[in-house]
Amino acid sequence: MKKLTSLLGAGALALGASLASARAAETVKVGVLHSLSGTMAISETSLRDVLLFTFDEINAKGGVLGKKIEPVVVDGASNWPLFAEKAKQLLEQDKVAVTFGCWTSVSRKSVLPVFEKNNGLLFYPVQYEGEEESQNVCYTAEAVNQQATPAVDYYLKEGKKKFYLLGSDYVYPQTTNLVLLEYLLSKGVPLANIGGGFRKDGSGKIISAGKYTPFGHTDYQQIVAEIKQFAASGDACVISTLNGDTNVPFFKEYAASGLTAETCPVVSFSISEDEFRGLPADKLVGQLGCWTYFQSINSPANKKFVADFQAWLKKSTVPGIVKEGRVTCSPMVLSYVGVYLWKAAVEKAGSFDVDQVRAAWKSGLSFEGPGGKVTTQKNMHLTKNVYIGETKADGQFKILSSFNGVYGEPWLKGKFK
Amino acid sequence: MTHPLPCWLRAVLAGLFAAGALAAAEPTPRQIIARAALTEDAAQQRALISSLLGRADDAIVPLLEAWRKDALFLHTAADGTKTPVQLTGDPDATGARVASRVDTGGPWLDASGRPVRLNPSELTAVEHNTSLRRAMKGVLDLVDLAAADPAKRLKAIQAIGLAQDAEKLPVLQGRLATDSVPAVRRALREAIALIQLKDARDEVKLAALAELRELHPLASADFLQRALQEARERQNAAVAGAARAALRAVEDHRTTVDFLGTLFRGLSLGSILLVAALGLAITFGLMRVINMAHGEMIAVGAYTTYLVQNVFGAGLTIPCFGLSVPLPGLNLSGAAYQGYFLAALPLSFLSAALVGIALERSVIQFLYRRPLESLLATWGVSLVLQQGFRLMFGANNVQVSSPSYLSGNWLINDVILGWNRVFVIGFAILIVFGMWLVLTKTPLGLLIRASMQNRTMASCMGVSTGRVNLLTFGLGSGLAGLAGAFLSQIGNVGPSLGQGYIIDSFMVVVVGGVGSIGGTILSAFGIGGVDQVLQQYLPSVAPGLGWVPGLGGFLQNLAQDAAVFGKILVLAGIILFLQWRPAGLFVIRSRGLED
Repeated sequence: MKKLTSLLGAGALALGASLASARAAETVKVGVLHSLSGTMAISETSLRDVLLFTFDEINAKGGVLGKKIEPVVVDGASNWPLFAEKAKQLLEQDKVAVTFGCWTSVSRKSVLPVFEKNNGLLFYPVQYEGEEESQNVCYTAEAVNQQATPAVDYYLKEGKKKFYLLGSDYVYPQTTNLVLLEYLLSKGVPLANIGGGFRKDGSGKIISAGKYTPFGHTDYQQIVAEIKQFAASGDACVISTLNGDTNVPFFKEYAASGLTAETCPVVSFSISEDEFRGLPADKLVGQLGCWTYFQSINSPANKKFVADFQAWLKKSTVPGIVKEGRVTCSPMVLSYVGVYLWKAAVEKAGSFDVDQVRAAWKSGLSFEGPGGKVTTQKNMHLTKNVYIGETKADGQFKILSSFNGVYGEPWLKGKFK
Repeated sequence: MTHPLPCWLRAVLAGLFAAGALAAAEPTPRQIIARAALTEDAAQQRALISSLLGRADDAIVPLLEAWRKDALFLHTAADGTKTPVQLTGDPDATGARVASRVDTGGPWLDASGRPVRLNPSELTAVEHNTSLRRAMKGVLDLVDLAAADPAKRLKAIQAIGLAQDAEKLPVLQGRLATDSVPAVRRALREAIALIQLKDARDEVKLAALAELRELHPLASADFLQRALQEARERQNAAVAGAARAALRAVEDHRTTVDFLGTLFRGLSLGSILLVAALGLAITFGLMRVINMAHGEMIAVGAYTTYLVQNVFGAGLTIPCFGLSVPLPGLNLSGAAYQGYFLAALPLSFLSAALVGIALERSVIQFLYRRPLESLLATWGVSLVLQQGFRLMFGANNVQVSSPSYLSGNWLINDVILGWNRVFVIGFAILIVFGMWLVLTKTPLGLLIRASMQNRTMASCMGVSTGRVNLLTFGLGSGLAGLAGAFLSQIGNVGPSLGQGYIIDSFMVVVVGGVGSIGGTILSAFGIGGVDQVLQQYLPSVAPGLGWVPGLGGFLQNLAQDAAVFGKILVLAGIILFLQWRPAGLFVIRSRGLED
C-alpha cells in the first residue's frame, strides 16, 4: 500500500514537473536554500520569508526580463551534508538560474563544491569570516572589515584601551578574532591589553586569540569574573561573537556581576533585531551592535521596505509563517538587496546565463536598498554602509555612528601590520 | 578629566544665548540642560552636559537622572516649537500631569496663566546614548562625591581615581578629612594614591606606591605595571623596587580573590547540579526508574515560572493545539510583580508533580520490573513533552525576567557574590533539608523507604505500594520542577531546556551512588568544585605542562578553551572513577533477594 502511494506521488510529481516545464517559458526558477527545521530554523526562516516577499514584489512589477520568478524552496534542515544534496537537486534537477541561501559558514562550505562543479550561482547574505572568494558565490554578506573592524574603530574613538575577545567555538569567531588581533596590534594596542587568552603553535606564533565556549554553554561565572578583573582599571570593552542562545546566560551573568554598558560595553556581532525575538533585550540595554542595516534607519526607502514587508506578511498564505512581532534585520535586508542586484545583473547581461550574470556583477552595479546604497565589486563582495547601534529596551537599535561606502575585503589575515 | 574645550565652549554658549538677553549672564545649570535637550548634534550635547562639571546646583542630579530614565520630555507645539518639560504631580482622569519647564523649574503656564497639563503619551522622551550618559556620569560623579549614600560616593571616587585626574586631588583630600565610612575612606586613599602615581616628584610617587602596596586594589595593577615600566626606562631603582613590591601585593591579593571566587563558584555550580539532580536521585536513585523525561519535568517547572510571571504581569494567550487559551493578567507592578518568583516556586513544584503523577499512572506503573523498557518509554515521553512545549509556547525561547532581588551582587573583598548564586546555594540547602525531613521524620518517608527497599515485602506488610510509588514519583518530579523554576533565572527557557541538564543529572546520581541521597549531594559539590577549579587554574597551570609525554604541546594550549576542557577532564575523571568504584561513592547494600 505504502509503495503504491509513493508511486502515485512520484507520478504526480513527474506530471507536475512536465507541466512546470511547459510554463517555463514565462517563468524563471530561483532556488531558496535555507533551514526551515532544526536549530537554525529560527533565524533562517526569516530569510525565506523576506525572499518570498521580494519575489512577489518583483513579479508584481513584471518580473525579470519579462519572466516571473518561480521560487523553488528546499529545506536544509540545519543538516550540513543535506545542504549539499539539496543544492545538487536545485542545480541538476530543477536547473535554477540562481540560489539564495545558507546561514552558517559550515553550510556554505558544504555547498560550495556543488556550486563550483555545476557552475551555479549562490547569493550568501550572512556576516562571515572571509578568507574565501569563490566565483560561484555572490557575497552580499558583511565581510570582517564591514562589521568587526568598524566596531573596533568606534571603540578606539570612544577612548577604549583594553579589548576582551569572547566567542562561540567555531570558524567564524576564531577567524574574526585572529583578524581583530592583528588589527588591534596594528592600531598600537599592546598584547597585554587584549584579553581572553592566546594559543600559540610550536614556533610561538599566535594561531588563535580570545576565549571560547561551546554552543549551549550555560556557566559564564568564571569568564564574567575574569572580565570584571580585566575591566577593573577602566577603559575596557568586550567584543563578542557568541552565537545564539548562549547570549542569555552570558548577559544575565554579566548584569548580575555589576558590569554595565557604561563601565564595560559589549559589542555583539551575532545579535540583530530578529534575535531579540528570543533574547531578553532589557538585559542588553546600552550594549552595542554593528551591522550594515538597522530597522531604525530613518529613511523613506527603509520605512517603505518595513511597511511593505509587514503588509505582505499579513496577507501571506505561506503555511506556518509567523505574522506577529516581526522585525527586519541586516541578513534579511542583504537577502532582499541580493535579489535586486541579481535582477539588475540579469537585465544588464540580457540573459540568465551564470557567466554573463557574473560578468555584469563584476562591472559594478548599484542599488539603493533600505540600508543605503550598495555596489557590487570585482571580488564578488559588496561595498555598503556600516552602522553602529545601541540596544534599546524594545529590541531595536539607536544608531550612534555610521561608515559610508565600506569596501568589502575578504582577505584580511596578514593585512594589518 | 580636565575639560579641554572651555574656550570654544564658552563661545558656543555665548552664541546660543546671544539672541536673548542672557548673553551677559552665565546660564544656570537648568538652562544648560534645557539647551542640551533641544540640541540635536550629539557632540554639542555632550559638550553642554560636560560644561556642568563641578557646578554645584540642586537641579543637576534630579534632571540628569530623569533624563537617563526617560522621564525628561520634549513637547512639540502646533507651530513646531519644542519645549523640554518634566511631569509632576498625580495624573488626572485622562492620565495628564502638570508640566514644569526644565529651564526655569517652575510650572509651565499657558496664555491665560493656568498650568499646562500634558499626557506622557503625547510627548517624546529626550533621547540619550552611551557617550552622553558617560558625560552625565562624569558630572554626576563629582556631585555624587557629596551624596548621602556611601555606595554612590564609593562609585564616584573610584571613577575619579581611575581617570587619574590631578585637578580633583584637593577635593578628594578634603573628603578624606571629613568622611567617616571605612569603605569610602579606603576608596579615597586608593584614588588619591592612583592620582599621585602620576606625580613627577619621586617622593610623592614612593609614598603613593607604599600606600597602594598596603591597600592592594585590583584596579591598580595596570597603573602599577605602567609605573614600573616608566621607572625602568628612567633607571630609577627605588621607584621600580617600590612598584614591584606594590604589584606583588596586588598579585597576592588577586590570588586570594581567585581562590575564594573559585570556591564560591564551585559551590554555586554544585548547588545547581544538586538542585537539578535531586529529583532524579528519587525517581532513578530510589525508585530505579531510568527516567529520561526528568529533563522535561525541569522544563515544566521553568515554563510554569514563565506563566506565573505573565499572569502577574499583562497576561498572555497560549495557542494550545489550535485553540487560543487566554490567561488574564493581574497587571501588578513594582514589588508585587517582583514577587511573582516566590509564587512560582510552589506552583512549579505542583505542576511538575502533577505531570509526574500522570506519567506514573499512564506509563511507569506498568514498567517497575522492566527498567530497560522504562528507559525507552520515558524517552518517548520526553520527546512528546518537548513537542508539546513547541506547540504551546513556540520553538523560540521564552523570556523570564529576573526579579530585582535576584539580579544584584555583593562585592566582598573583591569577590563577586551574585544574589542569584547565593540564593541557589541557600535554596539547595533548604530543599535537601526538607527532603531529609520528609524521608526520615514523616510516616510517608518511612513508607517510601520501605517500599523502595523491597516492594514485595512492603506490600505483604500492608503498605499500599501503588500509592507510595505514585507519591514518590510525584515528589521526585516536583523537585525537578523546583529546579526548573530556579534554572529559569540563570539560563534559557525553551523546549529543549531539559536536554541540557539530563546528562549532568544522571552523572551526579551515578557518581554519588544510585540510591544514596548523601552521595548525590557530595558528588554534585565535588563535580561542581572540580569543574570550577579546572576552569580557573587550567590557564595558569597549562603552560607548565610541556613535560607530559605525548600530550605536552596540546596541554600547553588549554588557556583559551578552559570551559570546554574543564568539562572534558571532569567527564574523563568520572569514567576512571567509575572503573574503580562502579557503584559510585556510596554503595547501598540491602538484604533484598532481588539485588
